[in-house]
Amino acid sequence: MESESVIEIRNLTKIYRDFWGRKKVRALNQLTLDVKKGEVFGLLGPNGSGKTTTLKLLLGLLFPTEGEVKILGEPATNVSKNERIGYLPEETYLYRFLNAEETLDFYGRLFNIPAQVRKDRAKELIEMVGLKHARRRQLREYSKGMTRRIGLAQALINDPDLILLDEPTSGLDPLGSRDMKDLIDKLKEKGKTVVMCSHLLADVQDVCDRIAILFEGDLKVLDRVDKLLVDEGVTQLKTSQLPENVIREVEEVLKRHGASLMNVDHPTSNLEDLFIKTVRESKERPGQRHVADGKPTAAS
Amino acid sequence: MGSEFDFSGALITYISVIGSLLFAIITVSVAGSFVVGGKTGPLAVLSILRLAVEDWLSTSPRRIWAITKLTILEAIRRKALLVGVVFAVLFLFAGWFLAQPASDPEQQVKVYVAFVMRTIAFLIIPMVLLLSCWGIPEDIRVRSIHTVVTKPCRRQEIVIGRVLGFTAIGGLLLAIMGVVGYVWILRQLDAKGRERLVARVPVYGKIAFKDREGVDQKQGINTGDEWMFRSFIEGGTKSRMIWNFEGLDAFNLETADHLPMEAGFQVFRSYKGNMDRGITCQILVVNPDTEKRAVAPLVTSRDQAGKIEQTDNAFEVKEFRENLLQLARRVVDDEGNELDLFKDFVSKGRLRVEVLCLPTQQYIGAAGPDLFVRLPDKPFVVSYAKGLLGIGLLTLMIVVIGVCASTFVKGPVATMTTFFIVLVGATGRAFLDTIVDAKWVGGGAFESIYRIFAHLNPQTELPSTLPFKVMQLVDGAGVGFLRSVRYLFPDFKFFDLTPYVAYGFDVPWTNPVPPNSGALLPSLIITAGYLLPWIVLGYFSLRLRELEAK
Repeated sequence: MESESVIEIRNLTKIYRDFWGRKKVRALNQLTLDVKKGEVFGLLGPNGSGKTTTLKLLLGLLFPTEGEVKILGEPATNVSKNERIGYLPEETYLYRFLNAEETLDFYGRLFNIPAQVRKDRAKELIEMVGLKHARRRQLREYSKGMTRRIGLAQALINDPDLILLDEPTSGLDPLGSRDMKDLIDKLKEKGKTVVMCSHLLADVQDVCDRIAILFEGDLKVLDRVDKLLVDEGVTQLKTSQLPENVIREVEEVLKRHGASLMNVDHPTSNLEDLFIKTVRESKERPGQRHVADGKPTAAS
Repeated sequence: MGSEFDFSGALITYISVIGSLLFAIITVSVAGSFVVGGKTGPLAVLSILRLAVEDWLSTSPRRIWAITKLTILEAIRRKALLVGVVFAVLFLFAGWFLAQPASDPEQQVKVYVAFVMRTIAFLIIPMVLLLSCWGIPEDIRVRSIHTVVTKPCRRQEIVIGRVLGFTAIGGLLLAIMGVVGYVWILRQLDAKGRERLVARVPVYGKIAFKDREGVDQKQGINTGDEWMFRSFIEGGTKSRMIWNFEGLDAFNLETADHLPMEAGFQVFRSYKGNMDRGITCQILVVNPDTEKRAVAPLVTSRDQAGKIEQTDNAFEVKEFRENLLQLARRVVDDEGNELDLFKDFVSKGRLRVEVLCLPTQQYIGAAGPDLFVRLPDKPFVVSYAKGLLGIGLLTLMIVVIGVCASTFVKGPVATMTTFFIVLVGATGRAFLDTIVDAKWVGGGAFESIYRIFAHLNPQTELPSTLPFKVMQLVDGAGVGFLRSVRYLFPDFKFFDLTPYVAYGFDVPWTNPVPPNSGALLPSLIITAGYLLPWIVLGYFSLRLRELEAK
């Protein structure tokens, strides 16, 4: 059964005009796509491809030149749709004179959340994004990463069904970036729908179920990530460590079946994993240590 | 005396202006959208109106309070309250320049009270003007508004919250400065000065004149001053100034042994005479229905128990200061009958008082407000608080205009726009009314230019040829434009209540004195009348624009 569409975009076009109404740029051209309930959807594209414009059209911050946008079954211009939406902007445009608690209290009030619920939810979210130690500091004193975290917390204050994330990992260190991706996974597990735009392809690949690639306002690709990235012409085997003679035997077998062994090596971990592992170990065992020639020394 | 604010007329004008504006806006929108989008255009307009109704029905006090609180915190944390420090510094040193311990206590009160109230107004008004004009544009510029409008926050809640927040900041400063200013006034004044801190409650009458032949006149004699605010009567003739008081039955005067009055007459001497003595005058009380009249005896001394000891049938006018007059209740007429001032002369709350100048070839002059019944004084703090309320209402008006302007233009333009509206509303509204109501002689802009270059005076008739008709038509269009926009400018003259407080009067609710000056109820009504249309305008401006900083 086809699952319910949370976002329906039909022939969406956006042309930016100057003060005199003259056409400046066509930011989006006849975009049509659906986002289904419970999926993590990625909007990809280089700078100026129309990702952020699409998000802003979804949020009613911009008005379409042509076409139609429905979000949670309502037109994008209806304010009532915002009850079930969480939005993390590209830069975290929060009020920098507020502290974390005041920020979440303010946004909680905008959702008409009762005082006690607001307080509990703010406390929970501040802990979740790891800002408990800085909850009373004004946001102007926050680093970029901390600002992104509190921005994420404000996007989740209403426990939304649909979360729109504009460049969610930008400005975050690898650990923060991993936390963000873990959080997106958790949101998905809870049945939430997430739409994110990013040009950090690895992040998108890690978390998204489906993606759309935009280029100069046109939709170029729209499909599931696993389907798009799979190379049907190649088969990959992973085994435990094999001695040289066994490898040669495997090669022989493959030759007999008309195939060739394209590559044999030991898989490497990625730098992100190494970084996260080092930081987590350092948190568990504080003290100076360094890695030399691939052999870590004991903590001093 | 004092012209009643015409509430019913104001309400009719208000409804007709708002109705015409709404009709014009909807007609233009529907027609324009039909031209641009065909049949779907008017449907889009209807859809916008439907959304607007939905938005307004969903207004939430909690969200409004959130924005209000945010605005207050923003102003405090951005050090807007530093203006209070400027206020404190001004007051630390103001005493050096204003203190006049040896001068008249009345003058001291006027100077100190006016200084305090004007300083408060001149510090708060620019501050709230700047705050209100920059709040929303700054939110749009740094895009923090994106995190607000993507919540279920309606645009009118943003506008109302901002208005309330800035007004609260202005109100907080006003309260602090008001208290500090009050204490400062008390400390600056000596004991005599403090005694002068009162709020007199006057009941004014309508003035008329009789000339030397006893014939009714609207005005008295002009003794040479071109500006005829006060006109004069000649002494030793039938000439007199007549005040008709009304509504005296509304005041509980029945238990009093006198009718308290206060006079502030001017004297014109045609010969020097005895300069140590004032010009002698007499007061007659007249029943307006029966025309019964008698000389009013004025209380000159009382015994220790406060009972009337002596009265006099005349009094000397003390120039440039108040003349407190107690018209004794017991009146004796020409035939020696003992009469009661309140029972025999006050009829249905009305009383006529006639003032005669006794010395021949000397003159006394007055305008309507120069003689009034002085009801029991109110504490000074009452009129002071009302005066501050006037500043508060002005602050609210400026905030509303500023916030509304800032919803469709950037901060600097919004500031200029608001400043212009305030300037015209405070100084040019009467002039605008004169032009629009065709009371201005010499024609419109083009006609005036022509007259200047052609050396024609304003009364000279112009030839009725085509070029002149076209010129007058263009001028007429200009006046039509001014007519359509004049109500955009609130009439701020009603908000200036400082003179009442400084001159020791209670601030009136309805009857401004002189006419067309400040009064509390008109300023409240004007504020209420402008508040909603400006907020609605701000709502549509935010609702119909893309909130993307450009």
